[in-house]
Amino acid sequence: MAGAQVHRVLVFGWGKALAVARRILLSENFVLYLSLVFFGGLYLFMPYIAGGRNLANISSNMWPLLALVLGQMFVLILGGIDLSQTSIMALTSVIGGMLMTTRLDPALFAKSPLWGLLLSADGSPLSGTVLAVPLGIAAMLLVGTSVGLVNGLAVARFRMPAFMVTLVSMMFFSGLAIYLTKSENIMYLPDGYTRIGSGGIGLVPWSFFVVLVLGITSHLVLKHTVLGRWFFAVGKSVRTAVVSGVPTERVIVIGYALSGFCAAVASILYSARLAGGRPTLGQNLLLDVIGAAVIGGISLFGGKGKVLWALFGVLFFVLLSNALSMLALPFYTEPVVKGSVILLAALLDVTRTRLLAREVIV
Amino acid sequence: MLENILQFDGISKSFFGVRALEDVSFSLPGSHLLGLIGENGAGKTTLMNILGGVLAPDSGRMRLRTADYAPRRPADATGAGIAFIHQEWNLFTNLSIADNLFINRFPRLGRSPFINRTVTRKQTAKLLESLNLTLSPETLVDRLTPGERQLVEIAKALSTGAEIIIFDEPTTSLTAAETQRLFDIIGGLREQGKSMIYISHNLGNVLELADDIVVLRDGRVVDTGPGRDFTIDRMISRMVGRAIDQIFPTRESRPSQEIVLEVKGLSQTGIVKDINLVLHKAEVLGLFGLMGSGRTELARMLFGLEPFERGEILANGVLCSRICAGDCIRRGMAFVTENRREEGLLMEATVVDNVGLAALPAFASTRFPRLLRHRQLSEAVTRIAESMRIKSGPVARTLAKNLSGGNQQKVVIGKWLMSRPAIFIMDEPTRGIDVGAKHEVYSIINDLAAQGAGILLISSELEELMGLCDRILVMSKGEITGGFNRAEFAQEPILHAAFKGHQRLSQNGRAGQR
Amino acid sequence: MRKTRDTMLVMALRHTPLILFVVIFLLFGCLSPRFLSYQSFENIVKQASYIGIAAVGMTFVLLTAGIDLSIGSNMYLSAVIAGLLIQNHNLPASLALVVCLAVGLLFGTVNALAVTRLKLIPFVATLGTLWIGRGVGLWLTKSVPVEFPQSVTQIGSQKLFDEVPLPVVVFALVVLCASVLLRWTALGRQIYAVGNDLEAAKKAGINTARVRGTAFIICGLLAALGGFISVSQLGIVNAGFGKDREFDAIAAAVLGGTSLFGGIGSVFPGTVLGAILIQMVTIGLVSAQVDLYLQPLVAAGIIFVAVLLDSLRTRQLAKLSRRHIRVEELTSPRAGGIVPMLGEE
Repeated sequence: MAGAQVHRVLVFGWGKALAVARRILLSENFVLYLSLVFFGGLYLFMPYIAGGRNLANISSNMWPLLALVLGQMFVLILGGIDLSQTSIMALTSVIGGMLMTTRLDPALFAKSPLWGLLLSADGSPLSGTVLAVPLGIAAMLLVGTSVGLVNGLAVARFRMPAFMVTLVSMMFFSGLAIYLTKSENIMYLPDGYTRIGSGGIGLVPWSFFVVLVLGITSHLVLKHTVLGRWFFAVGKSVRTAVVSGVPTERVIVIGYALSGFCAAVASILYSARLAGGRPTLGQNLLLDVIGAAVIGGISLFGGKGKVLWALFGVLFFVLLSNALSMLALPFYTEPVVKGSVILLAALLDVTRTRLLAREVIV
Repeated sequence: MLENILQFDGISKSFFGVRALEDVSFSLPGSHLLGLIGENGAGKTTLMNILGGVLAPDSGRMRLRTADYAPRRPADATGAGIAFIHQEWNLFTNLSIADNLFINRFPRLGRSPFINRTVTRKQTAKLLESLNLTLSPETLVDRLTPGERQLVEIAKALSTGAEIIIFDEPTTSLTAAETQRLFDIIGGLREQGKSMIYISHNLGNVLELADDIVVLRDGRVVDTGPGRDFTIDRMISRMVGRAIDQIFPTRESRPSQEIVLEVKGLSQTGIVKDINLVLHKAEVLGLFGLMGSGRTELARMLFGLEPFERGEILANGVLCSRICAGDCIRRGMAFVTENRREEGLLMEATVVDNVGLAALPAFASTRFPRLLRHRQLSEAVTRIAESMRIKSGPVARTLAKNLSGGNQQKVVIGKWLMSRPAIFIMDEPTRGIDVGAKHEVYSIINDLAAQGAGILLISSELEELMGLCDRILVMSKGEITGGFNRAEFAQEPILHAAFKGHQRLSQNGRAGQR
Repeated sequence: MRKTRDTMLVMALRHTPLILFVVIFLLFGCLSPRFLSYQSFENIVKQASYIGIAAVGMTFVLLTAGIDLSIGSNMYLSAVIAGLLIQNHNLPASLALVVCLAVGLLFGTVNALAVTRLKLIPFVATLGTLWIGRGVGLWLTKSVPVEFPQSVTQIGSQKLFDEVPLPVVVFALVVLCASVLLRWTALGRQIYAVGNDLEAAKKAGINTARVRGTAFIICGLLAALGGFISVSQLGIVNAGFGKDREFDAIAAAVLGGTSLFGGIGSVFPGTVLGAILIQMVTIGLVSAQVDLYLQPLVAAGIIFVAVLLDSLRTRQLAKLSRRHIRVEELTSPRAGGIVPMLGEE
């Protein structure tokens, strides 16, 4: 009899546990919970990961990546993709670097096509002036947005597939960045600029504030403006959007422009931290960006996406990389783990969709 | 006494506690055509899914000739000689007719994995010939008209040796000529000894074809009998469960003299020629014609979705030039397209998102940043959903794809109502929705006119137009071929105008238009 | 008279890849006569072989409306395993090839299972295997480049009948087999069907999981083969081998007329032309002595133009095959517009 009672309690408890597990799984904040659990688990083994130094490390990796993912989010919601974000980073890094640098070694840069025109041993005409940093940053943002505009026009006006357009962009603009500097890194950037990457208020770096503003603005746009609703509409059914009066071409162009803008912002943050203008900046980041977006739950089919999801995806991704390097595992474990995580995340998404579908009463 | 080839015995099926089918029993005699009618949601689709092996019944059984029939997958049904001709054709547009017919049973060259093309070509040609279809077996399906595609579907069914063929809404996209050809073929099939089940909302067609009729309502069989004993009234009243004395609401308001839309000399080479029409305030203007007469193309030109070479469009007296849909909406126009799933709805979005889509700018602040006023939007949407009696779960959570056809159509109309348009263009608004919902749409159209909107109503159902409209224009081959005032409404002259230009038959025996 | 002219336009639109090919060929030929030599052309086709083989594999996947981002890692991993076995166990070259292909096949099978069993979307599934594959390869080699002995590299320089380079022969054989498979077997036709309409394919009783899975397996196999051919020309595999090659394969297939949405495309002439075209551009730029740093820019520009033309062509063809209501009007001499040549292709 006691056995039967214990059995009942166990069955009841198991059922309850399953129900709770199911609710957590289906919850929108699942990746956040996962990240917290992951962090908590790691803390048990390595308390120093919660130390100020490591948190700062995590943080400085998170914010620029989040900027990229926010930009990619707009394009993904539209049902497209932007493969050119990393090349935009490289190009803007180089252009900003060239405008802001205070010294260029002729041995390295004399072969650059801009030598003599814009560049000299003392840098650009702006170098040393008070305007160098603000104008440099402005130029970076402008270039990033312009490339995005071109991508958007090709996709919206000429109806070219986004994959191919942004692939070609990626080839072209990273090639351009390398061409302009003949593969050399630009150094000797002014303090005013590099401080963006290293300084902050107390423990909180400047990049946090920049990306905070970016994130809040993105959230406002998506949830509270007409343009945001239009993004989702175009992503869900562009034909319906057209008939319903949505200016679809304009919306698509703006989406890609925003992606380019965000890539430029990320470039500013990365370049400032690295204190250099690099034509190879972000070369391996593209898959990280898409991976983080997918993990966070932003659909590759379009029509779905949230700023919070981008945040959770990036959080988990960076925590993962951080844990791997903290554990001093050999470098080749990183791609294996990242790949497995992406597969698991996608599998989770499939399972969640299937569970959710059953909940709907026809 | 003809032996029963198919028998349903007490079939029941529930989904999550909701009864979809309850104790459905009837039989299909050999070489007979059985008309299966009922509103959307009455259970026809579920029953056919059970027959086709897609779903299993909770209780009851089916018998095929004398043996039990319990398919576990669609392949079982095909193997048993049952074929379905669905509304959405399951043809591969990038393959030839022959490839389509043999896609999962290609004859091989001996023991090799290679396809025996000679055999496929010959057999396909023979089948096409028996259906009076003079097309080469190598023709890509891409290039076929909807009518031809449907005949290819029938060829596919015959090629698998089907003895029982189920037609699901077969005439929706067919021209009158193609419909007639289909009926001829059905007659031929009957003579060959095939048995058929014919599902359609076109009650007239069902009456013409069916030897027996079964009426489903709320998952139950509520009426059966020989086809000749049925009338349209009986069918409708059984389907709906109440006598409908009046299908169409009385037109109480009268159109005013004020013109809201004027079209002068609109032309686009190859599509329409010299279209002139006038739409008044509080008027319901019908636009009738055969499928492919250019009505949808005209509507799309009026709404800025297609270009036109010559002519003028004046909305509320203002000349429209170089227009797009957004401009038209701003000028007080609305357009309910004929394909709600592709162009009317965001299937993966909620009812609120769908209904609010066209009117969003009106619910945002005017200065930058244009922030949405969510609560006002939500209230307006709820009001519209209630006034139209849209049956769904909570509007902020139910996705459009989970609604029935009738409710989906109401969502589309509701979307346009949000902007209170003065000019409403509706293209086949009652296509593919059940009788009850149709009735509600008719009331909505009537109310809109009473409130002063001008409505251009495109429809292929003449009775519908004759019941609702103040005037009817007829189009044929891209031109306006006739106009009739309400007092002059009569089937023959209107149909006559619709067939103008279609008289000549080509050598192939097909009507002149393609 | 008008009819002939219009039919020519339709034909031109349907054969854009070929026309583009001829134009680019003539362009570079004019810029540098050296380009037109037989040796130069032989060089181009030889260089195009390895990515061409991979692109043929990619075509299968694209036809089923899928995508395989992992072929670069596949090439790396299969080459590395074969190379290490040669180094450490003295495996003869022919067996090494078999091992390489087996690994590629296995890699493709993993992708196939991920997509058909786990129901993951191809983009994400192959993104995952891209990473995992590269990681495993790096782990096996500890990032040290793997050298291949002469027994392998001489394959790269061998010529059949002293005329045709072996890589080209392999390429031609692969193209032949793939074409035959696509046109003359049930599996091939079902690949086109699945890419056109997955739901209809399921309803027609096609085992869509098997069809899609097979496409990924073939892609994996051919990627490994292409990798081996490349190794036979390079002689060494370093940590970055194969990186980003998936984009080249996709570009070659798309340039050859394969649609990213499935159901449309061909191996011959399509993908073959695409692969050779890309190589032609690369080598043409070298012989025209364009600045090394400008080459990727020009290549990107040309690919952009090709994709643009393809998009315009798709739109124009869609417009042409639209049903016209007033057909008589179009055949009159004064009318504008183009007559759709239905049933005449």
